[in-house]
Amino acid sequence: MNKLWIVTFETFLRQIKSWSFVALILGPFIIFGISMGAGYVSYNGAESGSDIAVISKETAMREQFIKANKDDVNQKITTVSAAKKAVNKNKLAGYLVLKTNKNQATATYHGTSSIDSSLKTKVLTFTSQIQQQLNYAKAGMTLEQVQQLQQQPAFKEKISKKTGTAKTAKLISFWVTVIMVYTILVTYTGITAQEIASEKGTKIMEIIFSSTTASKYFIGKILGVLLVILTQILIYLIGGWGGYLIAQKASMTKDIMEQYHTLINSVLHNLLSVNLVFLLLGVVIYTILAAFSGALVTKAEDASKAAQPVTMLSMLAFFVTFPFQNNLDAVAVKILSYVPFFSSYFMPMRVINSEAGPVEISISLLILVLSIVLLTFYISKIYQGLMLQTDDSSFWKRFKRGLSYNK
Amino acid sequence: MLEVKHVSKEFKTVKALNDINFTVKNGQILGLIGQNGAGKSTTFHSILDFLQYDGEITWENEPITNNVFDQIGYLPEERSLMPKLTVEQQIVYLARLKNRPAKEIRPKIDEWLKKFAVKGSKKDKIKSLSKGNQQKVQLICTMIHDPKLIILDEPFSGLDPVNADLLKQAIFEAKKKGAAIIFSSHDMENVEELCDKLVMLKNGEIVLDGTVSDVRNSFGKTHLFVTTDWTKEQLEQLPQVSSVVVRDPNKYLLELADEKAGNEIFEKLTDGKYIEEFSQQPPSLNEIFRMKAGVINE
Repeated sequence: MNKLWIVTFETFLRQIKSWSFVALILGPFIIFGISMGAGYVSYNGAESGSDIAVISKETAMREQFIKANKDDVNQKITTVSAAKKAVNKNKLAGYLVLKTNKNQATATYHGTSSIDSSLKTKVLTFTSQIQQQLNYAKAGMTLEQVQQLQQQPAFKEKISKKTGTAKTAKLISFWVTVIMVYTILVTYTGITAQEIASEKGTKIMEIIFSSTTASKYFIGKILGVLLVILTQILIYLIGGWGGYLIAQKASMTKDIMEQYHTLINSVLHNLLSVNLVFLLLGVVIYTILAAFSGALVTKAEDASKAAQPVTMLSMLAFFVTFPFQNNLDAVAVKILSYVPFFSSYFMPMRVINSEAGPVEISISLLILVLSIVLLTFYISKIYQGLMLQTDDSSFWKRFKRGLSYNK
Repeated sequence: MLEVKHVSKEFKTVKALNDINFTVKNGQILGLIGQNGAGKSTTFHSILDFLQYDGEITWENEPITNNVFDQIGYLPEERSLMPKLTVEQQIVYLARLKNRPAKEIRPKIDEWLKKFAVKGSKKDKIKSLSKGNQQKVQLICTMIHDPKLIILDEPFSGLDPVNADLLKQAIFEAKKKGAAIIFSSHDMENVEELCDKLVMLKNGEIVLDGTVSDVRNSFGKTHLFVTTDWTKEQLEQLPQVSSVVVRDPNKYLLELADEKAGNEIFEKLTDGKYIEEFSQQPPSLNEIFRMKAGVINE
């Protein structure tokens, strides 16, 4: 097997077998699982313990109340004694007795604590309506008169559903994209710098470079890390797809999924597009820079320091997007969407908002790819020198001596 | 054969190597000696193509590049392995980088661990091994792929005499198989015992070059080892004796200003009587090293 692939697979296998990678992968699924579990428990808990029973001798009135408030009512309980038992067993929050007496509607709530305020409003609204019906009947008003009295002022709100959803989808897509790019970048720049610096710290590089060229080794390392990133993204895509399918069928989330179907599809469309390519290439260019940073330290324990300039650059690009999310016409946005290290944030932002055409996207991608190639070429040239400098002299001295090893 | 021809290397204003020339034939061991900073590691780095240098270095008449790397076994001065790998993973990984398939190397591992008396199993993590055992695993990584050119930078440092003997045995075996071996050491006894040739560097220049006996003899047989009942003061009065060192009671080492005085001293000391020890020898490699190093310091 080519030595480049030996280095690639060794790096890949070592990373994916590590506990930190397993934790990195499982973390979001565990958090998702816990929140789903908590939601399910509270959903079921709410179903049993916070309902009320409605008791009334007047069947029509009871049914009318239940029809209007079916989510809050346990319909199976119809008698006071059954309701009392259920309250004692904490299966009901309380029970409501509805009746009319001498043209007056009354509602009496029996419970172990005060009635829920929103339920109280619903009960009051319902009893007001009943009382109004009784009052109209007693006054002997004609249907026309009743209708006139029921006349309400008009308030209209016109929302174009399509535009509104699209705008929300863009906003969500923007945040999901930048946070995803930022998180993956910070994670992998740290991992790469740590990997390179710890190898340099073990001083094994002389043995490695007596077996293969520095450029093959460097590219192998980068490809190895890239495979790890692809693995993570693939697992998330599969996991996300599975979650999406489950959410569509689960009773707890089914309604939400149906309600926001268009929005969710728009967000997914924005994410699973050319933006994913920008994300990947962005991670690659930052990873190369992180490898370079890792090669500049002498001890493994300094690796986190080595990753700092790269993390800072990523943070800068991340935060610079904020002021521009509602101002995509700005010249700065257009320029930064072509500048490597920034374009992975800015071009997806423009793509999401349909501000960039295929030509602009292609040019930006081309610049990014060219930068990656040039950076890889240059760093692989000086990599050997940098990795063989293990003395404790100052950063610049090491850097200069590293360059003097350049062949 | 390794050929180093007119190799020079400058780091800014410092001349690390100046016109270095030597050869190491297949089946030959060359000892590279010199004080710290003399240029030994720079020589190794030049041979391994880590550095850009002036001159020419060839292995079997070919420049040393990626194509030749697979034939080289290199032990750097600083001991280094990947602590999280197991012994087997480490050995196999480095051997695969030498283009040796894992299935060829794996069956050899136990045999090599036994040869170097490594305490522990091949399934143990490198970090769980003692420093000495890690060093032995590194030596195995250097030699398990049967390299044709072996470069060992201070291989004996940190090894106790028993383990040093195991290493010597492995070096002799590689020599028998026809490998060209070059190693640096500060222990002149090892150099004297192992090397067919030696090269001494000072300030990046060769100051000694040749077989061990040639180098020693070039300094003249100025050392007299005698066992006598003469006193130290009496010995100091003998002709051409520049110093007398008491080795043991009645055992002395006389340093002569002129080796020719040996005959006259022999006559005087024996004076027709039996003498237990009289041996005229050149200075030891250690003394030559000190002598040369002293010249550097002057």
